[in-house]
Amino acid sequence: MKSEKSNSFRIIDYLLILMMVLPIVVLITIKLLTNVPSDGINVSGARIYFEIPLPIQNLLITESQINSWMVMISITGLCLYLTHGIDVKARNKRQHLAEWIVEKTDNLVKGNMGEYFIAFSPFIGAILGLSAFSSLICLFGLYSPTSDINVVGGWAILTFILITYYKSKCGPWVYIKSFGDPVALLAPLNIISEVATPISMAFRHYGNVLSGSVISVLLAAGLQGLSSMVLGWLPGVLGDIPFLQIGIPAVLSIYFDVFSGCLQAFIFAMLTMLYVSGAFPMEEYFKRKKNKQTKAMSN
Amino acid sequence: MQTLDVISVNLWQILISLINLVLLFLIIKKFLYKPVRKVLKQRQDEIDNLYNEANTANASAQENMKLWDEKIKSAKSEADSIISDAAMKADLRKNDIISEAKQTAEGIIRQAENDAELERRKAEAEIKTEIVDVSAALAKKILEREININDHKEMIDSFVNNLGDEQ
Repeated sequence: MKSEKSNSFRIIDYLLILMMVLPIVVLITIKLLTNVPSDGINVSGARIYFEIPLPIQNLLITESQINSWMVMISITGLCLYLTHGIDVKARNKRQHLAEWIVEKTDNLVKGNMGEYFIAFSPFIGAILGLSAFSSLICLFGLYSPTSDINVVGGWAILTFILITYYKSKCGPWVYIKSFGDPVALLAPLNIISEVATPISMAFRHYGNVLSGSVISVLLAAGLQGLSSMVLGWLPGVLGDIPFLQIGIPAVLSIYFDVFSGCLQAFIFAMLTMLYVSGAFPMEEYFKRKKNKQTKAMSN
Repeated sequence: MQTLDVISVNLWQILISLINLVLLFLIIKKFLYKPVRKVLKQRQDEIDNLYNEANTANASAQENMKLWDEKIKSAKSEADSIISDAAMKADLRKNDIISEAKQTAEGIIRQAENDAELERRKAEAEIKTEIVDVSAALAKKILEREININDHKEMIDSFVNNLGDEQ
């Protein structure tokens, strides 16, 4: 089958692979070109590329925006590559992967939210992909957009909007009444917990990723100091090489960058699913729908 | 180059990231989930079709098998009846032939017996006349005198007849 592929098919394939890889390469180049070597520990937020004046607050186009757009382009390229030449009978690896992704997210959504929310599975896939890839690009030495509170905050607010939408699906009165549950006295606490949901989600994700990178920076600096203390007696240039920095940060980076990044993406997706499906009073909604239908029938 | 503080909230950035997520949701839905779902559905349809075809083929095969079983059974019984018929006919025919043969044989035997009886009678009569002639000639020679043949013939005849009877 592979030898029968036409040339145009291959060219499109290469273009799609380029679409996946090129954004990352561009980001690395920008980073290398604008990098300011700094000594010591320097923990700071995203670098600001330029500023657009807008009402209320100026829009700052920073590393996190550029990086997330590039990640989105990469993911789009990946999707196009996986589904390029998709066929009922052709069973190649990339189609397996595409089907695996779709089926896994479908099962995840079905298992956590129920059959009614099956339309959510691309959304959950988007959260998982964007969050995981945003965290993982720090493996290339790039700034993770997920360690910017604004990026994760935007996602959390979207989740909050969805929660509120599903909570008020039975009408505003049911939504307001749900705060007085189980006792009207608890209404302030309920409102606080409602508002706390997106904030806690955003801070959990952002804090985990940021703390990972902070620990990485601290560890690198610490190992440099330790190296010069322990191995400083070596003659000549050997004494200046921080030998302890070889290997150890990489091992820890597997935990802080890869594992923590994927785990946080999964937790964020999981919480989104649970909150949204928990907010929807399904029985009440279907009861009302049925009542409406019977009323319409009797009229 | 300027950097943001570690925690700095910017409404427009939040809005942009919100829109980013929605955009990526739409992209993934259009470019990954839609084609994959389509293919999965097509495959499911194909599988369903194949199963249906297989089921109908199986059912028709079962029906055919039943039909042929019945046909074979009826053919067997037909063959049995044909064989038994033929055997019966053959039996009858055999008996006929045997009895016919017996009759013919009996006829032949009777004929032969009759023929033999007639032959015997004939031979007896011939022998009688011969004996009569011989004995007359003998008596003529023995007695050597004129004898009236006619006188003695009666006596000899009766003697010879008695002789034949005594045999």
